[in-house]
Amino acid sequence: MSEQKVITLICERACDLDSVCNDKGEVKEVDGLHVVKLPCSGMIQPLMIEAAMKAGAAGVIVTGCQIGDCYYREGNRMIRERLLGQRPPGLKKTVDRQRVLALWLSRPQKDRFLSEAKEFVAFVRQLPTPPPAAAKPAAK
Amino acid sequence: MYTSIPKGLTDLTLAIEKGTNAVISNKYNPFYYHGALPQFYLWVLFLSGLLLFAYYIPTIDNAYFSANLVNAWTSVDYITDKLPMGAVIRGIHRYAGDAMVITIVLHALRVWVTDRYRQYRWIQWVSGIVLLLMVLFIGQTGYYLVWDERSLVLTRMTVSAFDAIPWIGPGLKAWFLNGTAITNLTLSNFLFIHIGLSFSLLFGLWVHYVRMTRPVITPPPAINYMLMAALLVVVFAYPITSGKMADINTAPTSFDIDWFFLFPYWLMAKVDLTTYWVLMVGATVGLCLVPLPSLYKAANPIEAAEVVLSKCTGCSLCSKDCPYQAIEMVPAPAGSRFKLLATVKPYRCSGCGVCVGACAFDAIDLPNLLDTDVTAQIRAMAEAKPN
Repeated sequence: MSEQKVITLICERACDLDSVCNDKGEVKEVDGLHVVKLPCSGMIQPLMIEAAMKAGAAGVIVTGCQIGDCYYREGNRMIRERLLGQRPPGLKKTVDRQRVLALWLSRPQKDRFLSEAKEFVAFVRQLPTPPPAAAKPAAK
Repeated sequence: MYTSIPKGLTDLTLAIEKGTNAVISNKYNPFYYHGALPQFYLWVLFLSGLLLFAYYIPTIDNAYFSANLVNAWTSVDYITDKLPMGAVIRGIHRYAGDAMVITIVLHALRVWVTDRYRQYRWIQWVSGIVLLLMVLFIGQTGYYLVWDERSLVLTRMTVSAFDAIPWIGPGLKAWFLNGTAITNLTLSNFLFIHIGLSFSLLFGLWVHYVRMTRPVITPPPAINYMLMAALLVVVFAYPITSGKMADINTAPTSFDIDWFFLFPYWLMAKVDLTTYWVLMVGATVGLCLVPLPSLYKAANPIEAAEVVLSKCTGCSLCSKDCPYQAIEMVPAPAGSRFKLLATVKPYRCSGCGVCVGACAFDAIDLPNLLDTDVTAQIRAMAEAKPN
């Protein structure tokens, strides 16, 4: 399943991936790593992460600016707290936490993103694929 | 995006902050509390000023020199030389003022470099300029209060500057001197301006913070200790001394300049008074106009978030998370199943989408980026077959 997709939800002011993406929002260097830009990482709904997983993504990378520095004051801190379950709404318990990576990188930190993302993509692809039915208990 | 600011400048700031984070971690990075630093020094100034106020005597009596002469200068001298720790408190009060100006300027610079001064933030920018002017004027009145020769020169220069303003000049002069000449009443007026305007800063700060949810006004204690330590180092390294006592019958002409507060007087000595006022008023108005829309081009015009009335459950999570107090919970219309309904104040909204992230019911949307579209895009990407 090496072709499983990984989705990156990224703040447009965090690390600048324009130069490494093709026009469809796919990172050229890493096959199957897609980028969705949002005005602020605070806009990321836990529902979006769940939707990506449900649609068959191997993992999700959440990227915002360095914690403490948010153009909109508190966005990256809020999505971090939501991912950690400290602020409603949080991620569902059924979402495999191993498959979510949060990176807090400022605009010039493109290389750091690529190295971390490569490692993460390789890691989530070798995880045993959860069969879609695994969420349901097999027996009573 | 940061369109109106040189890219290299922003990248440099971000790089410096990243380096600072690596050394002292995000939690204690003073760059992330730049607005709270002057606020900390304000409390230091209030406390040290209160202690000085207990011993300060606002009079200029020096009709005859005697051993028991009591006036502003001798009371300051008493505080400095006789009172235990008096010189330290005085030093703290002086240098905390300088530190406040430095931190305010750094705060303004960072806000400008990171492009956080315009659109929905113009109130913060303009009130910040007004606050800076107030701080400068309060600091200058502090220099008059010592009543050494420098105070006398500064007072006379201020009087002539006020006198040069058409129409309101004579009134300002009379207000400033509390009469027609320098008397004991003048000094009590200076003390009133110094303290009264300091408390008015709190009102200005309220305007400065009013649209902020959870404004960052207190740095973590560790940073407070660092700021206080830096202040004390300067206090002990460069003790404060007064000049000679002012004698109203003399006309001293030169003085040491404190560049943080007294630079207007340097300018005043260089140019004639009309040019001085044109420059000062021009600079102030110019700074206030920095957030003018025609001076920058925004990548995306802001479109305020919109509540989907049929979906909102009135849970108020978006209202709590909004960083600009742009969402108000109002009673739901009659017939609704819920008690409250979120409403957006468009003139406060920054279009950041934090409310979208806070909503578990898809009930709030940015008109130019619907969350259903984002989710659909994510789904399409995740399901797409490799080419």
